[in-house]
Amino acid sequence: MTRITTTTFAMLASVALAPLALAQTGPIKIGVDTPLSGTYAPIGQQVRWGLELAAKEVNAKGGIAGRPVQLIFEDEEANPSVAVQKADKLFQVDKVDFLTGTVNSGSTLAVGQIAERTNKLMATTVSFADSITADKCSPNVFRVNARAEQQSSALAAWLMKTNPDPKVYLLGPDYEMGRSTVAAFQAGVKSRGGTILGEVFAPLDSKDYSQYFGQIRAARPQVLYTSTAGNDTVRLLTQMQDFGLLTNLLVVGASGTVTSQNIGAIGSAANGFATGVGYSPEIPTAENKTFVDAFRAAYKADPDLYGADSYGLIYFYKAAVEKAGSTETDKVRTAMRDLQWDTPQGRKTMRAGDHQAVQTMYVVRVDNGKFAINAEVAGDQAIGPDLCTRF
Amino acid sequence: MHSHVDAGPAPAGAAGPRRLDRLGLAMRASHLLFGFLALTCLIFAALAWRTGDVFYLRLATEALIFAGLALSVDILLGYTGLLSLGQALYFGLGAYASAVTLKAGYPVSGALGAAFGLSLAASLVGGLIVSRVRGVYFALITFGLAQVAAKAVYNTRELGASDGLIGVPVMPIHLGVATVSSDSPVGFFLFTLAFMAVLYGAVAYLLDTPFGRVLIALKANERRVPYLGYRPERARLAAYVLAAIVAALSGALYPMLRGFVSPELLSFTTSGNAVITVVTGGAGTLVGAFYGSLILTALRSVVGSWTSHHLIVIGLLFMAVVVLFPKGLAGFARSWVEDRFARTGSL
Repeated sequence: MTRITTTTFAMLASVALAPLALAQTGPIKIGVDTPLSGTYAPIGQQVRWGLELAAKEVNAKGGIAGRPVQLIFEDEEANPSVAVQKADKLFQVDKVDFLTGTVNSGSTLAVGQIAERTNKLMATTVSFADSITADKCSPNVFRVNARAEQQSSALAAWLMKTNPDPKVYLLGPDYEMGRSTVAAFQAGVKSRGGTILGEVFAPLDSKDYSQYFGQIRAARPQVLYTSTAGNDTVRLLTQMQDFGLLTNLLVVGASGTVTSQNIGAIGSAANGFATGVGYSPEIPTAENKTFVDAFRAAYKADPDLYGADSYGLIYFYKAAVEKAGSTETDKVRTAMRDLQWDTPQGRKTMRAGDHQAVQTMYVVRVDNGKFAINAEVAGDQAIGPDLCTRF
Repeated sequence: MHSHVDAGPAPAGAAGPRRLDRLGLAMRASHLLFGFLALTCLIFAALAWRTGDVFYLRLATEALIFAGLALSVDILLGYTGLLSLGQALYFGLGAYASAVTLKAGYPVSGALGAAFGLSLAASLVGGLIVSRVRGVYFALITFGLAQVAAKAVYNTRELGASDGLIGVPVMPIHLGVATVSSDSPVGFFLFTLAFMAVLYGAVAYLLDTPFGRVLIALKANERRVPYLGYRPERARLAAYVLAAIVAALSGALYPMLRGFVSPELLSFTTSGNAVITVVTGGAGTLVGAFYGSLILTALRSVVGSWTSHHLIVIGLLFMAVVVLFPKGLAGFARSWVEDRFARTGSL
């Protein structure tokens, strides 16, 4: 009887331990829960390209701690309900060691909670809502890209340096995101001693912005901040140009205000527009040049910030696992904290207090229909205070 | 499209307590199909529990929750003949009510109560508007109401705005005889199955009463209904309120399963999927909502992992079902069961 029990126990133990032993020698699996269809598919495409390029490079040089990297993709359709379901599959069925890819902030927050409840780690390379590494921070969630506050802080810091005590007017789209970006920039300018002359919110998809021009002109601002996007920016800037409001006015905005998609339609009205970003293919370093060349050779397209940040993520995870000597959650989490690693944007540091990456920020300006880097803002000047209280 | 609607009254002299007319027979067939589904679910649960599975149990639980939404669409589409393109409004309302209540520390019964009360109040107000119209106007107004609600939630910071609400706590569910935790995959699956069985039973009972017959009459020929002594607006309002409560109670389970809610739950995608589920499963069968949801959820998961062009594959399959099984999958199966019942007299 005892013998049978012992044998059974030994068999059970070997069955239970076999996958564990295998897991330490087989490939390191990284789940990618990203939108591959729908409106956000172009972002998911950049995420995919960035991760695949880095994984290929890492595997060619011996993998992570001697183990090859395997990427497993799932389409989250930019819908948190789908993202959570797919994350559950990646964790439970595919047994991934690490998860990334979520794009919209709702998906990142919901999937982060799944990671926490499953005791796994995840990182976003795209979501920029401040809450992810502030009031809704999680010990299992990291962010390797710049958050919204870093973008607006970099812009505000640059603005104060180029013209001391600027008089700023704010025009935002009237919805939650528009109001929060305007509030963030307003706080950035005020804390650095600038003057806010006034603010106005226009409905999304406004056809006619001239109704706001009277009050803007009357306030006599030197700088106009806007966080409109897409065709709203096209109408706003071209109508301002028609009314002659752009002369002697510096227009600055959120990183999504003027993009490669609408810059052609805005035309010459976009000239001089400045914004704060975490990446630009124009960054003049050797590391970035190598990255951009490899990216173009592989995919016949330029990398954008999503591609670059996703590319850097693989190196972040590699550095953490090799420092920890393991893929176990607790050890890797400890290794990730205060970790420094090299990316196309230069060296990034993972802040231990809120799991937010600190990085050099860039101010880019439109010059003849193309973005050019105007200035660099050091990482510590753009990163705001650590507001995470959970760990 | 649905044979039972066109069915005449029971043959004269056949009105004994054990003899059923075509509608009663169809309902019996639905019950049998539901029993078969519940049995399959129980076997699946036992197998999944044995193998220590988590993912498939949670996926099946989610499928049952969305089956509840599809059931509410079937009350309107299959019985009353009203196409709702905004049923996610009440599903989302129930989900948010449940999430907020649970986060405030109230038990599961409080969350279900909040979903019930809010959906009752909201659907009475909404029903005053939509019960006055039918056809394409009904579809457009329900669509519009849901869009307005989705936008309002999307921009309300207290409800998490575009990010939604996370941090819905794991709750114990007290059932008198046993207590299951909402994060136990098999326990919560069985709870959801029982909950949906109760919803199905309640809806089937109500639709088998004279009230249900009035709804079917509305679908068949609304102009004649007043001649029978019924007011179409009132019956339509009642159907709308009933459907809203079913949707909200189903939605209330969602945050218990996944721990969060987001504005996408109120989106047109959610409403549209529910309509597709009902049409695939079989409109006017009630049980079709469950078959449709389980089959489509499984397909979406498998095909979605296989190719990123899953929407095309699902779309083609949907078209194939509509062409080959115009009554839906459960509708097709039910006709077969009905014929067997009719031949053997009664059950």
